[in-house]
Amino acid sequence: MRNKFMPIQILLTLVLLIALAVTWKRAKENVIRKREAFLWSLVWIIAAVVILLPETTSFVANLLGVGRGVDLVLYASVVVLFFLVFKLFTSLDRLEKLLTDIVRKDALRDLPEKDDEQPNNQITE
Amino acid sequence: MRTIAVIPAYNEESRLGKVIFDVLTYVDRVVAVDDASGDQTSQAAKEAGATVVRHRINRGQGAALKTGTMAALDLGADIIVHIDADGQHDPSMIPALIDPIAKGEADVVFGSRFLGIQPTDMPEMRKVYFHLAKLFNTMFVGISKDITDPQSGARALSRRAAEVVDFRQDRAAHCSEILRLVTQSDLRWKEVPVHVRYSRETLKKGQSFLEAFRILWHLIIRGTK
Repeated sequence: MRNKFMPIQILLTLVLLIALAVTWKRAKENVIRKREAFLWSLVWIIAAVVILLPETTSFVANLLGVGRGVDLVLYASVVVLFFLVFKLFTSLDRLEKLLTDIVRKDALRDLPEKDDEQPNNQITE
Repeated sequence: MRTIAVIPAYNEESRLGKVIFDVLTYVDRVVAVDDASGDQTSQAAKEAGATVVRHRINRGQGAALKTGTMAALDLGADIIVHIDADGQHDPSMIPALIDPIAKGEADVVFGSRFLGIQPTDMPEMRKVYFHLAKLFNTMFVGISKDITDPQSGARALSRRAAEVVDFRQDRAAHCSEILRLVTQSDLRWKEVPVHVRYSRETLKKGQSFLEAFRILWHLIIRGTK
């Protein structure tokens, strides 16, 4: 019975295999770093294990004191999503800051007649 | 003493001209920052006699104010005055703002709406909102509780203060940020009473409760330290 996989399991596993292949192709092309490729591979492999052997989640869940494996996956997803949203916000904020700096630099470059009528200001200081 | 007023403006072609004209009777120069307005704000400012710098894309009031302040420093300002473009700040308050700096008594002067002169037509809800903002400021942002007006947009800074106070909040949160930076620094600050006029138009653009939450959010995201 264990060897009888549902079609959805096979389909999802195939998708994950493709993801794994693409990840390493990109790593070879130096689009992502090797460390990142390893991390992503880990994600794909864990996902494949969860899909093919759903009981493993129950095993880990029991270790952590959570009743069902499905619940554990859900809890973990919420935590991961929160983290990602936070990361997104901070990186967005960094981008906004950079954008403001560029826009400001551009605006100040167009500043007309610098120190026009009072050059003595710099001499006295 | 060279005094330069900085007026950030976003879609203010109708009101900006008169504001600049009035402000110019009290200062040596006006720097208007057009925050990528869709209307003729730049044109109106130029015609009224202001030096105009323009953001190519909208970056918010705080960002525009900072750009204007840097322009004023470039132009050799000894005192920099921040004034809103919508005409809610009575330009006749400017001498009161710059006087303590000119006399060497203070580095930063804030205009306060709650030091004696009653604002004209200020809605009750807005008063409640200001008290909540004040409470929040002292408890979470670290602004001195001696500040009576937590969201004052009218202020004057000495050259040194303008160089030291490095506010980074692009949007409305810059008000709280400047207050915190100043009251926590060794700069000498002072509040003077100012008169503010509320009209339906200024209220439309002003801060709603929703905006208050947005400010809160920005202060959390960009940090209060």
